[in-house]
Amino acid sequence: MTQPPASRDRILANIRSATSAVSTPVEAAYAAFPRSYIHHGQLAPESRIALLIERLREYDAEVVEATPNTLPAAIAAQLAHSGKQRFVAPSGLPADWRAPGFNWQIDNGLTHAEIEQAEGVVTAAFCAIADSGTIVLHHGPTEGRRVLSLLPDWHLCILRASQVVETLPEYFSRCPQPPPLVTWISGPSATADIEMTRIKGVHGPRFLHVILVHNDLVRDESEAMHVKV
Amino acid sequence: MSLHPQLDPTLAPPFPQAALPMLRNPQLRKNVAHATDVIQAKRAKLVAEKTDWQQLRSAASDLRAHALENLGFYLEQFESRCTAAGGQVHWASDAAEARQIILDLLKQENATEVIKIKTMTSAEIQLNPFLESAGVAVFETDLAELIIQLGEDEPSHIVAPALHVNRSQVREIFARRMGLPKNEAEALTDDPEALTAAARTYLRHKFLTVPTAISGANFLIAETGSVAVVESEGNGRMCLTLPRTMITLAGIEKVLPRFQDLEVMLQVLARSATGERMNPYTSFWTGVTPGDGPQHFHVVLLDNQRSAILARPNERQTLKCIRCGACMNTCPVYRQTGGHAYGSVYPGPIGAILTPQLMQMQHAQSLPYASSLCGACYEVCPVKINIPEVLIDLRAQVVDQERDQPARFFDLMYIGMKAADFIFARPWRFHASQRLARIGLRLFTRRDGWIHSLPSLGAKWTQTRDLRGLPKQTFREWYAARPTNSTSSPSLDPEEMPGAPSMHRHSGAWVGDRKSQPGNPSGETRPSVLSSSDPEPKPGAPSMHRHSGAWVGDRKSQSDKSKKEAQ
Repeated sequence: MTQPPASRDRILANIRSATSAVSTPVEAAYAAFPRSYIHHGQLAPESRIALLIERLREYDAEVVEATPNTLPAAIAAQLAHSGKQRFVAPSGLPADWRAPGFNWQIDNGLTHAEIEQAEGVVTAAFCAIADSGTIVLHHGPTEGRRVLSLLPDWHLCILRASQVVETLPEYFSRCPQPPPLVTWISGPSATADIEMTRIKGVHGPRFLHVILVHNDLVRDESEAMHVKV
Repeated sequence: MSLHPQLDPTLAPPFPQAALPMLRNPQLRKNVAHATDVIQAKRAKLVAEKTDWQQLRSAASDLRAHALENLGFYLEQFESRCTAAGGQVHWASDAAEARQIILDLLKQENATEVIKIKTMTSAEIQLNPFLESAGVAVFETDLAELIIQLGEDEPSHIVAPALHVNRSQVREIFARRMGLPKNEAEALTDDPEALTAAARTYLRHKFLTVPTAISGANFLIAETGSVAVVESEGNGRMCLTLPRTMITLAGIEKVLPRFQDLEVMLQVLARSATGERMNPYTSFWTGVTPGDGPQHFHVVLLDNQRSAILARPNERQTLKCIRCGACMNTCPVYRQTGGHAYGSVYPGPIGAILTPQLMQMQHAQSLPYASSLCGACYEVCPVKINIPEVLIDLRAQVVDQERDQPARFFDLMYIGMKAADFIFARPWRFHASQRLARIGLRLFTRRDGWIHSLPSLGAKWTQTRDLRGLPKQTFREWYAARPTNSTSSPSLDPEEMPGAPSMHRHSGAWVGDRKSQPGNPSGETRPSVLSSSDPEPKPGAPSMHRHSGAWVGDRKSQSDKSKKEAQ
């Protein structure tokens, strides 16, 4: 529209003339170079989970473990322990994750001011990467809009063991269709800008809690295998 | 702390001049040394635990080189995918055009305030002063950038722009500039936690009320039209999520072919930049998503000489840079001077090659010389930019420029080089000059066999190091006079020029910095970079390793030899 096309055309023409010596077709050139780094981890499932927990704790995240049966009680215990009352939940969060006895607001279009009033948030996740201690949100209905896990100071994230991969490339192989919105969270908000001293909690949530739900591991392993085949 | 350092390469003094006040500022040097030591130690540990580090480096390097070779294709793909997802793509040939595009977009929004995620590209185009003079208040939201902005300082590092400032200096800036009530300002301590909390409070209201934000981009994904931003504090997520309008300024070189390529880039970036396995927050977004985040999204693609750099085969690799800052943390020059001496928002080794090129070799010609060519930057570079190679290439260009200037006839260095050219052209001239030098230097050689001070240009060497006196005999003289084969006549074959074998005997002493090593009478010191405990070299090691290995090896074999001789 208002964009003067002159600059676009000039820049692209300069680039084309600068790279005119390149003759290999793009696709072939892209496929040609070696990618000999580690793609698949070697750890057994239990060790993979243990590594994730270790990494998360290094980042000062709190981690507890549960089974599908004990999950609601584990969530209730975390909420009670936080000392907070007002929580927000993504629209798709399972109803039995919203522990009774707390003030819940479900995000069906809450304003920023309303979310800012909340003291905590509970979400699911898309997956987690053990090697770097990273939780991945693709912001689906159980993970919530981006702002939901940002403004409240306290974030409880529920992870199923089957969602845990060991390496970063394993995560990418789980998303053949690149998602439009992604947030990776590796520990609570932090900075080291003053004398390289790591300080927890700048603008994002200062407290990150994770409940790791065991037991679905066997079933989902076979699913994952199936997908790969 | 230096107030208002000049980071405009068109105005900044040459590096040696700009470095002097930094070298004379012990507080600054202490702050820089501490910060770079901490990052380097963390980086070394995390790189060592990565058994496939060299494979990741190779893949990262190949990916970046491939993206640059096909830059036109990938940029057009990015443009069409981003546009299809609801973003608007703008193209800016130079800094002035980029500034104007951004200001026009802000005017469309009637913006009087804007919040910013840290972006060095915006510093490159000097965006903040431009917007301020047009009546738009700019709020930097990254803690380090906030320290810089409130302190009216300039960034000295591309990842940690305020690493030259210590906690008590930060306290002073915050107490003075945050508009805190008097009692709160006085109660503010220099505890980093308290200072961080002060920044959180100061910016919270801005995040929730300012409707327009500006970001940079760590990567543009051609396949999807997405943008990636890596950060630590959550200020990025705030700016990417809360405002109505987001403007992303990105250099055209930032594009990657596919989403999956991040599996390489994001394994090397945080480890190299901050010594973390992963930075706390990484965000990707694609155009506009209804109900989530800004509903107006613009990308400004900035050329500003990048396409010209692309056209130079040797220098093209400069554009592979992913701005991790590892090269400056390891650089023996940067670690002494800090970033401001480079007179550019891009300091350190990468700045020394990038800045002169961004300036079309019209300014900052002293920067290619702001390096000892030790190669440490190349070793740590996660995308394998051969910085020493580019430095040498740029030095050649600077010399070519000087060749056309009449002032060269009055330049001692030029006259010296011309004289050397003349002398080296004929063996007999070289031979004669050796004899002359031996006689001449005898005047300056003390009884201990060392030259402690020389006049004129020679003083530049002897101010900081001693020079070994010339031996009584050259290799060729010794060869001609050796008793075993008395029939052979002295040859003038250039292959047998004095030099190669006998030079090794001196090299250790020549390289060694005797004056700074009083406890080392032999003068045998390894340059500090080579003795760093960095776990590299590893398989696939860059060629500089071979050079440095040869140096160290030579001296070692020399000391072995002297041991034998002593026995």
